Amino acid sequence: MSRHGFTPDEQRYLDGGPHGDVSGAGRAAADALVRAAEAYRDSIPDVGARLDAAVLGAVRARPRRARRPWRWAVDGRVRPLWIPLAAAAAAAVVWLGVPRVPAPSSSPVAAVRVADTVFVQFRLAAPAARTAAVAGSFNGWDPESVPMVRDADGAWVVTLPLPLGEHRYQFVVDGTVWRPDPTAPAQVDDGYGGTNSVIVVGPKGLVRT
Amino acid sequence: MRSVTFGSVSESRDGTGRPTDGSLVRAAQGGDADAFGVLVERSRRDFGRYAVAMLGDADAAADAMQEAFIRAWDALEDCRDPDRFRSWFFRILANQCRTALRRRHPAIAVDDVEVAAPDRADAAAERSELAARIDAALSTLTPEQCEAFVMKHVEGRSYDEMVALLGVSDDALKMRVYRARDALRGLLGDAR
Repeated sequence: MSRHGFTPDEQRYLDGGPHGDVSGAGRAAADALVRAAEAYRDSIPDVGARLDAAVLGAVRARPRRARRPWRWAVDGRVRPLWIPLAAAAAAAVVWLGVPRVPAPSSSPVAAVRVADTVFVQFRLAAPAARTAAVAGSFNGWDPESVPMVRDADGAWVVTLPLPLGEHRYQFVVDGTVWRPDPTAPAQVDDGYGGTNSVIVVGPKGLVRT
Repeated sequence: MRSVTFGSVSESRDGTGRPTDGSLVRAAQGGDADAFGVLVERSRRDFGRYAVAMLGDADAAADAMQEAFIRAWDALEDCRDPDRFRSWFFRILANQCRTALRRRHPAIAVDDVEVAAPDRADAAAERSELAARIDAALSTLTPEQCEAFVMKHVEGRSYDEMVALLGVSDDALKMRVYRARDALRGLLGDAR
């Protein structure tokens, strides 16, 4: 059994390139891997049309959620700069005084309540990052819909109005690197070998256990 | 492309006369479950094989897809570009599969996969054995490598399509595919 990998030429051949520079043994190994993948593809059972009916039954029993009143805050049509400004304006009125958490690397630092919405600021210190975003249970784990912006201190920040309840999240750095928030009050296994950070938003701000 | 009336929502159809994903999403965002049902059927056909390959089990894949569809329905107003529903939904499904991966059945050693007896060593038996060995070997890869290999070689997607679906750079994806191939060559042995 071979314990070595494919050469660059063999990799290019597997990507559809020419086989001119590939040895006989390398080409045979590459062809065997492709044949095995094709055999595996043919062996995969259909998930089944019954799934469609099951999903439809489930969604019909779930009324569509009303459009969230805070959608403007994460809508791409709104400049990211407006998000902290809007939150700051709200904070001036109903600031709850949630203590700032020391944030050596990152932290959701504050929460401000407006009606049943609590504004939560996420902060990430990642000076070498080209982009940063927050993905979590509040946005379908979409790594793009909640981009962060650099503040005057160079940290990445974004303020989100979140409904009361538990929210799980991670930071997404440079679009590909997922990392938890080490200063979050709780961490849970994400089932993928990583960790999700957890915050609980209560009527008086972040609940710290 | 032309516009017709679909429920209370103006709908567009593609060149084959099918409603576009974008028009179906907009209808579903207005509460039209039937429009969402069409998206469910399309997405199941498009990504069902991915889910089974990632989880190694059709029942687990069906559970993951159902959960992903319900999450998509609940979060549909967050789909800011309805015409790109396919990519948006795939990311929900991929996260769901990653969550379910931990529950994937324990991997069996590739060498423990039963080899066809000589009297059954016909082409069908050989392909069945190859499929079982790949299935066992995939479960030893990292989730990212497994995902990349499945999309490239099992689903037959192009790198451009994978970039669009996964939101990962072309170079990073190729590295995952290359490492998966290297690992599988080591696990499966050379030409058979």
